[in-house]
Parts: sequence; structure tokens; C-alpha cells
Amino acid sequence: MFIKKIFSKDPDLAFAVILSVLLFSIFAFSNPLFFTLNTGFAIMERFAVLGLVGLALTLCIIAGEIDLSIGSNAALAAVIVVRFADSLGAPTSILLGVTCATLIGATQGYLIAYLKVRAIVLTVGTLMLLRGVSLFAADERTVMLTDFAVTDFIQTKMGVFFSPASILVIVLCIFVGLFMRYTKYGREIYAIGGARKEAVASGVSLTRPMILVFALSGFCAGVGGAIIGLRSGTAQPLGLQYLLLAATVAAFIGGVSILGGKGGVVGAIVGTLTVNFLNTGLVFNITPAYVVQIYLGILLLTVILFQTMSVMYEKKLQRRLVLFDTEQLRRKLIATTTKQ
Amino acid sequence: MTSTTLSKSNNNDGIQEISFLQKYGIALFLGILAIIFVYYAITTQNYLTWFNFKTIIRDAALVGIMAIGLTFVTISGNFFLLSMKETAALSIIAFAMCMSNDYGFFLSLMAAVLVAVVSGSIQGFLIGLGGNPIVVTLGAAGILYGLAAWWSDNLVISFRRPNDAEWLGTGSVFGIPNITIAFVLIACLAEWVLRKTNFGRQVYLIGASRAAGRATGHENLMMAIKVCIIASVCCAFVAVAFSAQMSSAQANYFSSSFGSSGDFTILVIATVMVGGNSIVGGFGSTLRTSLGAVFISSVDNLMVLQGFNSGPRVLSVGLMIVFSIIIFAYIRRGSRSEG
Repeated sequence: MFIKKIFSKDPDLAFAVILSVLLFSIFAFSNPLFFTLNTGFAIMERFAVLGLVGLALTLCIIAGEIDLSIGSNAALAAVIVVRFADSLGAPTSILLGVTCATLIGATQGYLIAYLKVRAIVLTVGTLMLLRGVSLFAADERTVMLTDFAVTDFIQTKMGVFFSPASILVIVLCIFVGLFMRYTKYGREIYAIGGARKEAVASGVSLTRPMILVFALSGFCAGVGGAIIGLRSGTAQPLGLQYLLLAATVAAFIGGVSILGGKGGVVGAIVGTLTVNFLNTGLVFNITPAYVVQIYLGILLLTVILFQTMSVMYEKKLQRRLVLFDTEQLRRKLIATTTKQ
Repeated sequence: MTSTTLSKSNNNDGIQEISFLQKYGIALFLGILAIIFVYYAITTQNYLTWFNFKTIIRDAALVGIMAIGLTFVTISGNFFLLSMKETAALSIIAFAMCMSNDYGFFLSLMAAVLVAVVSGSIQGFLIGLGGNPIVVTLGAAGILYGLAAWWSDNLVISFRRPNDAEWLGTGSVFGIPNITIAFVLIACLAEWVLRKTNFGRQVYLIGASRAAGRATGHENLMMAIKVCIIASVCCAFVAVAFSAQMSSAQANYFSSSFGSSGDFTILVIATVMVGGNSIVGGFGSTLRTSLGAVFISSVDNLMVLQGFNSGPRVLSVGLMIVFSIIIFAYIRRGSRSEG
């Protein structure tokens, strides 16, 4: 009964939950080591990295746009944080890196709204631009920490599954979720995604939600990049290219629609967890990284195929409905004319 | 909302005026950039020489051929493919595998092209059904790269010299490298196809208006498959040429370590954009793309001769893309009303 209710309310989310549980149980049964507390901790550590980036991309797709520069933005934040962590201290450098990422996101949002271009067009440019900036910021080499105190701190085990990094990510996810759900600004973001023309016609400015959503996504990408950089102690200016694919898979499993206006933070979390189960499970079975990419790609294409099919099916239904209506109208007209 | 559109469209048939400042601001900005470029071109040693000119065109050739393929996709309104370098990666592995087993150049070329046709048609099918091109090709990129690395065990596959592929990679006619000649030939052929054939005009039609295309019986499904195959075959050709140059292949030849400017796929997309093709489709030409490739290559070459590292060079290409987006957004605003 309860399950049926959830299914009818949010089929995409139910699908995502089923998929993630299925994946988890497959790996748990195939490898006894997978179903342990330590693996849970490892999965949460991965979640700390991918969760925020997946969330950032989910927000953009909710607004009906895709931010391709998310990996570059995260890499830039990582480079800034790692480079200045020794001289300025970790908190200041994190603040600097995250502020940079947020400002970059906000600028992108402003340009997209002001120039009236699609986000993919602009962000493909900033993808390259930010790579250049981060090469610049890193002096074209891999930057490294010398003091690993922060690295140790954010990886200490708290509770069974959590570390300061993953707790921070969960708290941020909750805040963003509340923001999207219960504030006017969050609803505006949904509005410009699902029905942009209608939203603009009813007086929602395109600029504000666009700046907001890209600033939010830049912020998430920045924090994600900072965590990645601090945790490994190194940052590569050309690194983190794999994030875009993984985050896209996470977002689409989480139930966003490419047309925008659908999906949410819970979906993003479930999607990210699914990707993490897949990743961790495949690593347990000693699979090379490039084979993981094949699985991720297949997963993404399958979800897209389902989504396109359902859109086509809905269109067909609509067309049939219209035909039915006109047929009835015709009959009524014929009936009235014959009476006369 | 309605009142403003009405008043604007009353003026001159829906054409909005762009302000004086915008119009001349753009011209002034481009002029300053051109003056800077010319100044450095003249003062840099060894830049304005015949040999360096050949180098610039040769560097532009590989990116240019791929970008010409991508131009078809862009003009037909399907944005761009994010799987360009991965298609090339799978093709290069297929080519090198066949070459190292002594199948000969022709059969190996056919194998690479076959791989490209299959991957292109699958992507085109998914895009044509209504899938977002970016997301579809992002997923396809993961699969193609994974397959390439898996097939080759992520190792370098080399084949013996001398082989019958060398003429394409390193050969030259009258001092002009064969790859440059191929670039020019492909550019001319693509321009002819777009301008003079039925297919080319259909590409423009569907790119300009999906609805008009559908109304006249040209669905995007077949078009998406065709243009994706064209783009993928161009990737395969570049892969074969590159492999013939190196007499070897590895899955990550086209990844970030390649060349100077970051990601190869993004460089190809940059070429299409900087050339001035409309990203939403319906407008553009392969001639523009070729010129874009030559332009990016010449700026890059100038910066190399001035002793810049890769950071500023990647930055400059990124700036070129962003400026071209901004400038074309302004021009579009000036020529056509929004509603």
C-alpha cells in the first residue's frame, strides 16, 4: 500500500531507489566484503566527493540548463585551495576557493540570462577558459600540500559511516533541499526549468533564478573540489574530467528530466549513492577505471532511452486525445446539422 | 511585454536596433585585437615565413577535419557531439590493431571507418528520437573510451615502419604535407555538399526550423543519423592520419595530453564556434569552420613563438570561445527580434 502510494506520487524517485537497492544487493551477495561497515564508510567518503557535484548538476538541469564547466570549476577550486592552504591557512583558502567558484557560477548565470544563450553554449567556452585559469593558478604543475593536518582531520571517522567531509556534504544537501523546496527563489528555479515561457510571461525574471542556480551550482562544485583537493593533498589543473560523466549519470538516475522542472535533492542523493555503489562494487571486483566508464555510459544511455520513450509515448497519447476530441466535435456538429 | 514587442516590430519589420555603442563597440574591440595580432605577427621572428605558414595549416588540419564533420551536426540543429575524441580513440585503436596484424592500410582504414559509422549511427538514432545530444554523447563518450581502453588493455599499440600508411601521416607532395592537402580537399568537398546538393540544403532546413522540416517531410531522425555518421567518419579519418604519423596508437592519444590546448573535443567545438557558425543551427558553413581552425592555430603558433606556456594558450582559446559567443549573441540580437 505504502509502496504503491510512493510509486504513484513520484515514479522516478521510486525507480531510482529500486535501482540503487538492486545494485547494492547484487554487490553485497556477490562479494561478502562489500557488505561491511568499512565499505559503508568508503562509500560515504565517495559520496562526499560526488554528492555535491551531482547536486550541482541536478540544480542546473532542474532549471533546464546543463553546466558543462562543472569539472573545470571544481578543479580550479581544488587548485586554489591546495595552493594557498599552506600560506593562508586552510579555512581562508577554502573560503577563497569556494568564493571564486561561486562568483564564476554567478557570472555564468548572469551572462546566460543577459545574452539569452543556452547554457551548454556558454559553459563549453568556460570549460576551456577555467582550465586555462587553473593551469595559470597552478603554474602548470600538480600542486601539493606540505602540511597534512587538514587532510587527516577531514578523514577522521565519526560515528560508523561518517567523516567531517561527508557530514558537511550531508548538511549542505539538506540546506539546499530546504531552500529549493520552501523558498520563493527555489520555486522560481523550478518554474524557469519546467515552463520557462509561462514563468517569464507571469512575471518571473529570468535573471535572478539563473544567477542563483548557477551560483549555487558553482558553490557546490567549489566545495566538492575543495574536499577532493584537501583529502588527496594534491590538485591537478587538468584533473577531475571524469566528474561530469559521473555527475550526469547521478543526476539522471535521480529523476531529473532534460526538459527541466523535475527532480530534487533527494533524487540527486539517491542517484549519487547508486553511482557510488556501482563504482565501489566494481572496484571490489578489481575492474579497471575505464571499464567503470563503460558501465556508467550504458547506465546513462539506458535512462535517456527510457526518458525519450516516455516523452514520445506521452506525445502519442496527447495526439490521440486531440483526435478523439475533434472526432466527437465532428459528430456533434453532424448531429446538429442533420436535425435542422 | 506585448506592448514593447509591438512597438519594436512596428519600427522595421521585427528588426531591433542595436545601439550605436554596441555596434561600434564590437567593431572597435575586434579592431584593437586585430591590431595587437598584426603587431605581434610582424615583430615576432620567424612568424611570417612560408615554412611557418605551412606549419600553421598542418596544425590546423587535424582539428579542422574533425570540426568540419562537427559543423554538419551543428548546422542541423543538434548542437555538438561531446564524443568526438572518444570516437577517434576507438577508431585509432581499431586501425592500429588491424595494422599490427598486417591487414594492410586499406582494410585497416575500413575497420576504423566501420567503427565510426556504427557508433555514429547509434548516437544519431538516440539523438533523433529526441534525446538531448549533449547527454547522449556524454554517455556514448564513456562507453567508447572504455571500449577503446579495454580493447587495447590501455597499452600503446605500435606497428612496424615502413608500412603503407606512412604516405598519409608524414608524406608530402611538392613540399606540402599530405594531411594539409586532405584538409583542403575535405573542406572543399564539405562546402560543395552543403551548398550544392539536396542533402546539404536539407541540413540547413532542419537546422533552421524543426517544424518546417517536419511539415515538409524531413524528420530529424534520419538527419541526425546522417550527420552523426559524417562527424564520426571525420573523427575516424583524423584518427587514422594521426596514427599513421606516430605509427602507434593508444586510447588516450586524444585526451588532455594531446597538443597544447586541454581537451581535444572542446578544441574542436571551439573551432566550430570561433568560425562563427550558429550553435542553434541553420546558419554557418564549413568554410567558416576551416577559417576558424586556421585562426586558432595561427594565434596558438604565435603564442608558442612568443614563449608562452600551455596555461595562457588554453586561456586564450577559452577567451576566444566566450568572446565569439558574446559577439554573436549581440549580432543576433541586432538582426532578429526575440519573439
